[in-house]
Amino acid sequence: MTVEQDFEAVDQFPVGMRVLAVDDDQTCLRILETLLHRCQYHVTTTDSAQTALELLRENKNKFDLVISDVDMPDMDGFKLLELVGLEMDLPVIMLSAHSDPKYVMKGVKHGACDYLLKPVRIEELKNIWQHVVRKSKFKKMKSIVTNSESDQNGVKANRKRKDQYEEVEGEDEEERGNENDDPTAQKKPRVLWTRELHNKFLAAVDHLGVEKAQPKKILELMNVDKLTRENVASHLQKFRSALKKITNEANQQANMAAIDSHIMQMSSLNALGGFHHQQQIPQFQGGVATMRHYPLGRLMFPHVSSSLPRNHNDGGYILQGMPIPPLDDLHNNNNNKAFPSFSSQQSSLMVAPNNQLVLQQSSYPSLNPGLSPHFEINKRLEDWPNALLPANTPQSDVISNMNTTNQTSFCRNMDFGSSNAAQADFSDPSQMRQGTVNNLSLFMGQQKVENGSMPSDAGSLDDIVNSMMPKVQSQTEFFEGDLGFGWHNSSLRTCI
Amino acid sequence: MGKFMQGYLDEQFMELEELQDDANPNFVEEVAASYFKDSARLINNIDQALRRGPLDFNRLDSYMHQFKGSSTSIGASKVKTECTMFREYCRAGNAEGCLRTFQELKKEHATLRKKLEHYFQVQASDQLCVINQLQNMC
Repeated sequence: MTVEQDFEAVDQFPVGMRVLAVDDDQTCLRILETLLHRCQYHVTTTDSAQTALELLRENKNKFDLVISDVDMPDMDGFKLLELVGLEMDLPVIMLSAHSDPKYVMKGVKHGACDYLLKPVRIEELKNIWQHVVRKSKFKKMKSIVTNSESDQNGVKANRKRKDQYEEVEGEDEEERGNENDDPTAQKKPRVLWTRELHNKFLAAVDHLGVEKAQPKKILELMNVDKLTRENVASHLQKFRSALKKITNEANQQANMAAIDSHIMQMSSLNALGGFHHQQQIPQFQGGVATMRHYPLGRLMFPHVSSSLPRNHNDGGYILQGMPIPPLDDLHNNNNNKAFPSFSSQQSSLMVAPNNQLVLQQSSYPSLNPGLSPHFEINKRLEDWPNALLPANTPQSDVISNMNTTNQTSFCRNMDFGSSNAAQADFSDPSQMRQGTVNNLSLFMGQQKVENGSMPSDAGSLDDIVNSMMPKVQSQTEFFEGDLGFGWHNSSLRTCI
Repeated sequence: MGKFMQGYLDEQFMELEELQDDANPNFVEEVAASYFKDSARLINNIDQALRRGPLDFNRLDSYMHQFKGSSTSIGASKVKTECTMFREYCRAGNAEGCLRTFQELKKEHATLRKKLEHYFQVQASDQLCVINQLQNMC
């Protein structure tokens, strides 16, 4: 069995694993200590978070794991958690009598390896050593990853090891394949900014203040082996620029919202000259409320799936308020893993904050003739909550800028009069949706054009949907919160 | 443990008994002692807080959270229930409910204490009995 193998491999572990237990309640602490002794761990106890920190700072190699209560008078357990993660990079387990999911969430967000409810049972404590193993394995991987930056092979090796690591982690399935995955397009070797690494970065920046944060200080706080100041500096730069863009974007969207709500009031399409079409898209509802927050949340936790609902509404997030950039921008954004840049000059599709799918064509007067297909399409969208359109990016010939198979333009500089094109547009949401669900990315930048292509004169969306149906059926089971879009899973990559 | 303790203590108490061994021969009694010491202090604090003019529900809730935590860890189920109720009243800002519940809580707490003291005495004397028997056998 694997467990035994691991046990042997780790040589005596977990016997003698050194645990620091923190709880202000004497009774609980005593019980915890005894339980831990029963598990054959080596236990140090303290009833104060301050003392715990001092002990840890004195010698960070003295302990393998920290287990701490959440509600303590001298310091919030979450704060302790954060500091320990930041300064010592030790696994921390939270303990609490609070079973409220929002506390659990908070714990996870602050980097807790686990969150146990009091009264703790010995069975649960018997397993905590796994967190230590995982963490150290991760550390090893990280340093391997940064070492192999310099060679092409290394880049591929990255992926392999990353996959291994993700198997070991097993925590977030969504992480699979969501890390930086464009080795071919990208020649420059770089650091793999994984969730953990980015969280450390964030904690450091938070500690120092976004404005004041300097790469050197951040690096020190992060305390990650093999990470260079340059790595941090470029990451910080991207972070700041993305932050700026998001703020601008949010402001823009505020304006959009104002405009759109005004538009909404006009019930008749004719009144709008048929230019804007609005339709309630039920499946995007979930994300609307947090639209403005979404980008920031993503920025903060690019790879933390738990901070956002794991369902297909993620795709809705993407659509909402994020205009699809022209391909050029996508090109440039190849290297930006976590920091999308949006430009708003061309949008083919936009969901306004008030949940209206607004087709905005600022520069395509030819839209008018194509109005009726849009009607149809919008209606169709309602029927598609779980129906996936595959990542067929139609007309690769039309997409002028596709220089690698990794990229697809969602912004069609093409004839919108044809229903085909219109369909293409609307198929994108689901592509993007899939893309997002798959990759936790901020938005669709790149997708491999893999499977077939939409017939260039597909008569109606109906045909397409029907022809996709069989495939779709088999995919629906993957769809719900899962990322296994088998046949085009691997092809969906996004530039983040 | 049997009927004597039924309802007053839950499985958690039994877990604690499991933890008692040769290395830790008086573990349960020690934990119980620690609990009663802590909880006596908490009860005192809450008593005082309840006498003070307008009730500070946040503070009371915080005390009660502590109380509930340690009561849970020893397996004091009835006390725990009263804690939960008290907290509900706190959240509802119901002073009357708080006061009433607290009286109940103190009662349960006192009862538990007596029962446990008795329990340990019996255990001790049982042990003595066994020792005597063993001695007599020699």
